[in-house]
Amino acid sequence: MASYSRLLPALAGIALAGVLAGCATAAPPPGQSLAGTAAQTPPRLPSGPGSAPLKLTETGSTLLYPLLTSWASAYHQQYGQVTITTAATGSGAGIKAASAGTAAIGASDAFLSSGNLVSHPSLLNIPLAISAQQVNYNVPGLGPGTHIRLTGAVLAAMYSGSITSWKDRAIAALNPGVPLPNVKVVPMHRAESSGDTFLFTSYLATGAPGWNSVFGYGTTVAWPHLSSALAAHGNTGMVAGCKVTPGCVAYVGISYLSDALSAHLGEAELANASGHFELPTPATMSAAAASLVSVLPPNETMSMINGPAADGYPIVNYEYAIVSSRQPSAAKARDLQAFLHWATTAGNAASFLNQVRFQPLPAAVVTLADSQIASIR
Amino acid sequence: MASTTSSPPPAQPAPPQRQHAAAALPARRVGWLTPRRWSSTPQLLGLAIVALVLASVGWGVVGAWTAGQHASAAADVVHVKEPLSFEAQRLYQSLSDADVTATTAFLSGPQEPLAMRQHYEADIAQAGAYLSDLTAAASPGDSQLRSSLAAVATGLPVYTGYVKQAQSDYVLGYQLTGGSFMQVASEQMHLTLLPAARSIYSRTNASLAARSAQATGAPWIAITLVFSVALWILLYRSQRWLSKRTQRTFNFGLLASSIALTVTAIWLVVAFAVTRSDLGSAETRGSTPAQALAQATIAVQQARGDEILNLISRSGSTSFQGDFAAEQRQAGPGPGSFLSTAAAASPDNSAARSIAAAEADARSWYATSTQVFNLDVAANYAAETSRVIGTGPGSAAAGFTRLESDLADAISADQAVFSSDAAAGANALSGLEVAFIVAGVLMASAAAWGLSQRLSEYQ
Repeated sequence: MASYSRLLPALAGIALAGVLAGCATAAPPPGQSLAGTAAQTPPRLPSGPGSAPLKLTETGSTLLYPLLTSWASAYHQQYGQVTITTAATGSGAGIKAASAGTAAIGASDAFLSSGNLVSHPSLLNIPLAISAQQVNYNVPGLGPGTHIRLTGAVLAAMYSGSITSWKDRAIAALNPGVPLPNVKVVPMHRAESSGDTFLFTSYLATGAPGWNSVFGYGTTVAWPHLSSALAAHGNTGMVAGCKVTPGCVAYVGISYLSDALSAHLGEAELANASGHFELPTPATMSAAAASLVSVLPPNETMSMINGPAADGYPIVNYEYAIVSSRQPSAAKARDLQAFLHWATTAGNAASFLNQVRFQPLPAAVVTLADSQIASIR
Repeated sequence: MASTTSSPPPAQPAPPQRQHAAAALPARRVGWLTPRRWSSTPQLLGLAIVALVLASVGWGVVGAWTAGQHASAAADVVHVKEPLSFEAQRLYQSLSDADVTATTAFLSGPQEPLAMRQHYEADIAQAGAYLSDLTAAASPGDSQLRSSLAAVATGLPVYTGYVKQAQSDYVLGYQLTGGSFMQVASEQMHLTLLPAARSIYSRTNASLAARSAQATGAPWIAITLVFSVALWILLYRSQRWLSKRTQRTFNFGLLASSIALTVTAIWLVVAFAVTRSDLGSAETRGSTPAQALAQATIAVQQARGDEILNLISRSGSTSFQGDFAAEQRQAGPGPGSFLSTAAAASPDNSAARSIAAAEADARSWYATSTQVFNLDVAANYAAETSRVIGTGPGSAAAGFTRLESDLADAISADQAVFSSDAAAGANALSGLEVAFIVAGVLMASAAAWGLSQRLSEYQ
């Protein structure tokens, strides 16, 4: 709401009511970490797992799978009594498994929707690392080190069919001096429901009002019916498809950047909300996340697409562990707490994250995560 | 009580005979009425005066206290508890409506319509006012109620903060970040505020039911009636005894006491029966359907929230659709639903007509919402948005508004029934407390006067 001056008397009354009720410091119940205040004191977390052997199961995001697998191995080396099994089943399956209690951790590229959280109030979104999504292209004739600059509006025009050639004036205007060929644009999108599609179409929606009003954003969108468009399954399929399709433009998770570069695909500089063109580097990804840390709500669910950082990359997101705050036993709760805290601290070391090009969580985000982890019982 | 109407001349005093008769009684049977102290008729008359005066005054006090307790409880139901229960229900509805309005306004764009902003602000202001009233009236001993009130008091500014953050981000061009905050706000509403508001409503309703039970409960009425019968027997036995001793059929003082006692006791029975009947009717014809309708309103508001949040989140999850279906089943119409319960309990009046309209409008809105969710599955977000927040006659917004209006009309009608019946019940006890006091004093005076007349004949 733009004006809240008229709410002040009501809110003052509410504050007074709180004082009268005498319970102004009432703490939210576990799993409902939306009290508007982060923990005032550092949460008490176990320094490590218990001595008894324990197995934890993880399933979900394919993007997170390599990282979680390396974490599981390292954690087992450090704490031999804990064995973590991982599985790449997709974010949706991970969320369902965590909701049903069949897996201790559901790995997801996106935070839970309000509907899921209201249906399963015990579920928590624990951010694990910062991820990003790059836009790759197969444009012949460009010199090494060239990065075509694109905006959300131009990408929206390419995906909606109003820009059909890489030599289009709108693209050329963004890339003075770049020898753009007259090659047909082949927009490629994911064939299945995908968090990557959500991120990419979100970027289009924020940059192109026309796209937002007609196609919008989501894990699935009604893509324009273009004869030139291609669909592919998974990031691997996107990279492979783009590799063999001149004129292709595709959105791909940051973990597959090496694959994309090996396939000789170009990597676009994308315009952020300030109009600056950025690549998904450690600096630009961290800057994008840092600009929103101060307003991150206690349950740590926030879209960071096209955020306010002037030097930030526009398509960044947190990768999440979806866990239940209600565990079947105190021992399992303690060991899960210990692992999640380890993942967000020691597990955020460059030796782990560099493999998948993720970036570490800001300290304030770790603090909030610890508050959530502490509510696991 | 003697029924003869003859009035023989006063018998001659016969103190010696009375002394003799008393002296003839074995001491063990008289007990503390030793022959030496209570052996004469004047002495027994004096004892009767004291006993009847004390009994009459005591009866008046007990009766007045009983009438006062019931009248107080009935008045409390009408003037305190029922309004508080209504406010608790309105608190819930204001919060839920604020959430629906805020999310709808967000969907409308960065510059939300003025009417929606004012609607949201009015909801929050009303919630604050209800919260203040409920907090001021909360019993210090009801820790659960006070805890829930505190949860709303501390959680509501958090909620409004998130809504403000969402709108600020949207205005600055960060639509998706704003959308995240709108979802967080809604989670705050559904996971913290509404459960607490539901608890407040539950506690105030329990308090209302308890007070109503006090107004219609039988124990003290029964005690008063037993006391009345005992006193009536005492008066009758006194009359009989006096009649034998004094050869007079009537003692007018005792007769007046008996009449006052009988009239007041009958008044008590009738007033209690009327109060019990009216308060029972207020509950079954007014409160029960109103509560069912309030629950139906809450359910449809939550369903509307599902419809809107589904559009904001675009997560591909069917959880919102599942929640919508669950709320739909709860609200009704359908077997066991809130609307059907209300329809069955509402009398044939304007409430019934509004409920019938609500059932029809609910079906229409559910049909539109099914189309909305189908559009979502087809990723046709533009058409979905138009259906969800559009103002045309076939839009979900219009259907929901009609349904909400029907429910509000029905609740108002049922609450009017409750207020009318409950007020009638409370009024039935009017004056009874004073009547007991007056009757008690009158009976004591009359008995004392009547027996004093006989006593004076011995002096």
